[in-house]
Amino acid sequence: MLQLRRLLSYRSQRASDVAQHKYDVVVVGGGHAGTEAAAAATRVGAETLLVTQKIETIGALSCNPSLGGVGKGQLVKEVDALDGLMGRAGDYAGVHFSILNRSKGPAVWGPRAQLDRGRYREFIQSQLLKMPRLTVIEGSVEDLIVSAADSGKHRVTGVRMADGVGEILAHSVVITTGTFLSGSLFVGRTTSPGGRMGEPPSCAGLSRSLKEVLGLKLGRMRTGTPPRIIKDTIDFSLAKLHLPDPQPTPFSFVNRHTHCKPEDQLPCHLTYTTPGVEKVVRESLHVNSHIQQDTKGPRYCPSIESRVLRFPGRQHQVWLEPEGLTSDLVYPQGMSMTMPPELQLRLLREIPALHRAEIRTPGYGVQYDYVCPMQLFPWLQVKCVQGLFLAGQINGTTGYEEAAAQVQNTSLFTVQQLCGGHVICSRSSVSFQGLWAGVNAGRTALSLPPMSLSRTESYIGVMINDLVSRGVTEPYRMFTSRAEFRTSLRPDNADLRLTLPGFEEVGCVSSQRYSEALRVSRCLSEALIALQSFALSSQHWREKLRHARISEAKSTLISGEEMLQHKEVSFEMLASVFPETFAQYLEFSQRIKIEAVYRPHCENQKREMERIQEEESLTLPPDIDYLSLPVSLSNEVREILDRVRPDTLGAATRLPGVTPAAIVHLLNYVSKTERKTASKRTHTDFT
Amino acid sequence: MALAGCWRIALYKNVTRPRVYLRCPVVFGRACPVRPVCSRPAPGFEDTIFALSSGRGRCGVAVVRVSGPDATGAVRALTGLKRALIPRTALLRNITHPASKELLDRGLVLWFPGPHSFTGEDSAEFHIHGGPAVINGVLQALGSLPGLRPAEAGEFTRRAFHAGKLDLTEVEGLGDLIHAETEAQRRQALRQMAGDLGRLYNDWSQHLKHCLAHVEAFIDFSEGELIEDGVLNQVDTAVSKLQVEIQTHLSDERRGERLRSGVHVVIAGSTNAGKSSLFNLLCQRPAAIVSPIAGTTRDVVETPLDIGGFPVLLSDTAGLRETDDSVEREGVQRALKRVEVADLTLVVVDSTQLPQEPRMVPGFLNDYLNNVLPKKMEQGHVQQCLLIINKSDLLPNEHMSIIQRALSDAFTAAAVSILSCSTGAGLTDFLKMLQERVKTMCADPLVGSPSLTQTRHRTNLQKSIEALSQYHKYRDVDLALAAEGLRLGLTCLGRITGKVGTEEILDVIFRDFCIGK
Repeated sequence: MLQLRRLLSYRSQRASDVAQHKYDVVVVGGGHAGTEAAAAATRVGAETLLVTQKIETIGALSCNPSLGGVGKGQLVKEVDALDGLMGRAGDYAGVHFSILNRSKGPAVWGPRAQLDRGRYREFIQSQLLKMPRLTVIEGSVEDLIVSAADSGKHRVTGVRMADGVGEILAHSVVITTGTFLSGSLFVGRTTSPGGRMGEPPSCAGLSRSLKEVLGLKLGRMRTGTPPRIIKDTIDFSLAKLHLPDPQPTPFSFVNRHTHCKPEDQLPCHLTYTTPGVEKVVRESLHVNSHIQQDTKGPRYCPSIESRVLRFPGRQHQVWLEPEGLTSDLVYPQGMSMTMPPELQLRLLREIPALHRAEIRTPGYGVQYDYVCPMQLFPWLQVKCVQGLFLAGQINGTTGYEEAAAQVQNTSLFTVQQLCGGHVICSRSSVSFQGLWAGVNAGRTALSLPPMSLSRTESYIGVMINDLVSRGVTEPYRMFTSRAEFRTSLRPDNADLRLTLPGFEEVGCVSSQRYSEALRVSRCLSEALIALQSFALSSQHWREKLRHARISEAKSTLISGEEMLQHKEVSFEMLASVFPETFAQYLEFSQRIKIEAVYRPHCENQKREMERIQEEESLTLPPDIDYLSLPVSLSNEVREILDRVRPDTLGAATRLPGVTPAAIVHLLNYVSKTERKTASKRTHTDFT
Repeated sequence: MALAGCWRIALYKNVTRPRVYLRCPVVFGRACPVRPVCSRPAPGFEDTIFALSSGRGRCGVAVVRVSGPDATGAVRALTGLKRALIPRTALLRNITHPASKELLDRGLVLWFPGPHSFTGEDSAEFHIHGGPAVINGVLQALGSLPGLRPAEAGEFTRRAFHAGKLDLTEVEGLGDLIHAETEAQRRQALRQMAGDLGRLYNDWSQHLKHCLAHVEAFIDFSEGELIEDGVLNQVDTAVSKLQVEIQTHLSDERRGERLRSGVHVVIAGSTNAGKSSLFNLLCQRPAAIVSPIAGTTRDVVETPLDIGGFPVLLSDTAGLRETDDSVEREGVQRALKRVEVADLTLVVVDSTQLPQEPRMVPGFLNDYLNNVLPKKMEQGHVQQCLLIINKSDLLPNEHMSIIQRALSDAFTAAAVSILSCSTGAGLTDFLKMLQERVKTMCADPLVGSPSLTQTRHRTNLQKSIEALSQYHKYRDVDLALAAEGLRLGLTCLGRITGKVGTEEILDVIFRDFCIGK
């Protein structure tokens, strides 16, 4: 820890020193989104500055001390596959690992861990502070520096710091202010400005300039956190013990083991609410202003108040989760509440296991501004502001995993944007050559078909696609059911899906990770080919594998792959019977089994996936005036298109209410206009 | 402006040469490492689609188009061609159903190998006769082949567009066409939606959506939240019930059958009433032997007919009477059986056998009907028969008009038509009546303008049932794959009733369960 402090003071600079310096990327906010953004931007080679209020809160888990879960676990795996920090941090800080949904099929397995808050912070900080090209400063960003660009658009050129530090220039700015954008905290009837208890409020200026200067549409959301209970005051004998997996599975593809030894893991406990809890909620409604307001709250992470009000007369689960190896606190999952502290205590004590509980810090509610994400491109750049990227809860998502995942994408594009940026600048130097180069660079920076992750490729793609094409009405949380190609986008193959292109095309993956992924990919291919070409008669198989239920009727030869599709046949079994063929692949036995079972289904899905990809590859100009377009479109369709402004033909096709005819007319119009301008341009070219 | 320009360029390039811009070697999303990664979906990974490409409704020639990797297979399966297909050459072939080997039509087959085809894929065209039964039969046959599915609206154009075959100005010309198509479809869909059929399909969709939502809830939330274990058992029952319902619906759906194989019209009555004369009159040739000897017709004689443009399969049967002749007895048995499965029975009465007293005639006719028609389905069946009083020329005109008056005053269980097969008197009225009947039987207002939607429905329902069985198969092994089955089933139903999105499923989840985490 001491060493870390020294490192901090060495690496982090005083804000006044960095002013006037021009960075490639400035990241505002040091939460999960901010740290991943800064790290990813650095990895792709950008000179990056991370501005945070307090360096010591970098990597802080402000709400629940856990990572992953069903749906979210996939995101952690994908962030890790793109060489993000989160998965490795989880492996370092985890104190209770389990794979949820183990009985429901590998496609929906949810790797999850309880974390030690201190360790998580320690890992993130140590990683960040040793990164080359990254500078971290403490400070508060007051405003964005924006200049006017073409056709009513803006261009961000830096940030203005509070406290007279001055301006910091940047090609691109990533805002990851989480719940701090005009955040207010609610406990009982008291309201105070802020985004997290115990930290100064911030970003009022940012919120204003996003809304007033840039004209972005903001919405308001709310969330909350439960009170923290002192561990020693809990009667665990009255709760159900919940043990972790005996053998912890690491999140990261580069880790074989977790930092925590299997036997050192901590248990969780499960208990339930009682009718008394409901009574306290109802009696305290008049002193609970958060719950009375109708700002959109999450349906799936509701406060205990809204749970008992929406589903009265039921028992609700309360998970008692450890906050860390040495922490004396317990986090009661499911008990987020906003009533006055004395009532919070009364409510908790209605639960038998908590009958003499004491609270360290009370629960509270947060309301904050978010930027309606339909105003973003799929690469999370604000449509009307060049160089400005948003990520995390500011886009209406919830959770660490969602925030970190978004950022992987952001930073990639930040840098792509940068490369284009230079050329765009030179465009102003009047030469036609420059102009054309600029146009092409702009095209690259704006559309980048190989870069935007499709919803057919990853959960990250699904999430971003949902956000920017449908918007949000409540904090967006990842579920496996949101991914229509769930059986292809599995936690086990995230490295095959993302690590290889992450290195080859994007450059955000280290070469060690890449070569390992390459090796894995090669071995899996070989193993599957070996399985497919190894065929025996059912008679022969029956003799070799006595447990397997092989139907007698089958007269054709059965391949090893088909055998693996039997529930009771494992790759280890095949390897033990035919060691000369299969034993060499034993390292991957679980992954091979999963691939064999899912391959036929994934093949079926491929057609549909490719259809979606084709439609997504047809881009629509961002500046069409749909309302006055001289094309036969119904007013209804015009309004929908104008409101949503889809980026691609695919996105437009998915909009409810847009007819196929409208799409054909639209494309036709755009193509004709293009030809006219093109011919005019050629004309001027030669005169 | 410059920025706008760059977008147009992007679009223009994408549109005219999309291949270049389709994501290059994206290893993203390649779940299986074995498959070679390619920049374009190889043709083998596309569905093969088919549709009636000429106008709907009756016409001389109809064109059914097939496009996709399995187009060759489809041509071979329907025509039995073994040798190599000759590109762009019309070939006259018998077109048969691949499973039943039933002859559907004799028509022209054209083969357009990709990339030199409208869609850029392997394509084929069947030029067949334009009757609804033929068209339906061919569409049905194509739908039964693996890998083939009915095309979505505008899908041929879309494929052509993606393959870079169509310039946008060409698409413009097609735009109106697509527009008309979807408009018509919408109108048609709306009309169906208002009816029972739409309600039924919608109902199934709702049920299935519910099932899927519950499975999804169980997958996404059961760990650490309160999702009761019983949820899956409920889904099991609901899915099985749905499968049975859809299956039943598919198997007793008579209207589609009628359009495909014709309305079954059977001529029945006692011996020597003139059934075979009526039969010959209707098919305008001496197809059945006519003689004054009772019991001339022994077996069932069949002929397909076109009545007012609708397909009819007309059968002449043996006269009904008690007999000791074993051959004739078999004939009577067959006649009765045929009446049982008939869509419409023409019950023929010899006018000279009518009671002398006109007041007695209605009662006599009702008894006669009861004798001819099968006992068990009297009520339902009575509406599907016409009574024909034949040989009107053998009675004096005055007597005939008295009988007619008596009939119009009294109640008879079926509409009555008086005619003479030998003179042709009353034939026009009778034909009008028959045509009216056949028409209502084929074109039910519920189903609207016909066949194609029907076939689409049928194929999609069939696929939906198959998908649902995947649920049962994987329910205990891998819930993700089981849910995949339900999702697929829902998509198939959704092609009929409208799509179901993820958000809707989440809505059900959050309505039914308290998700607290």
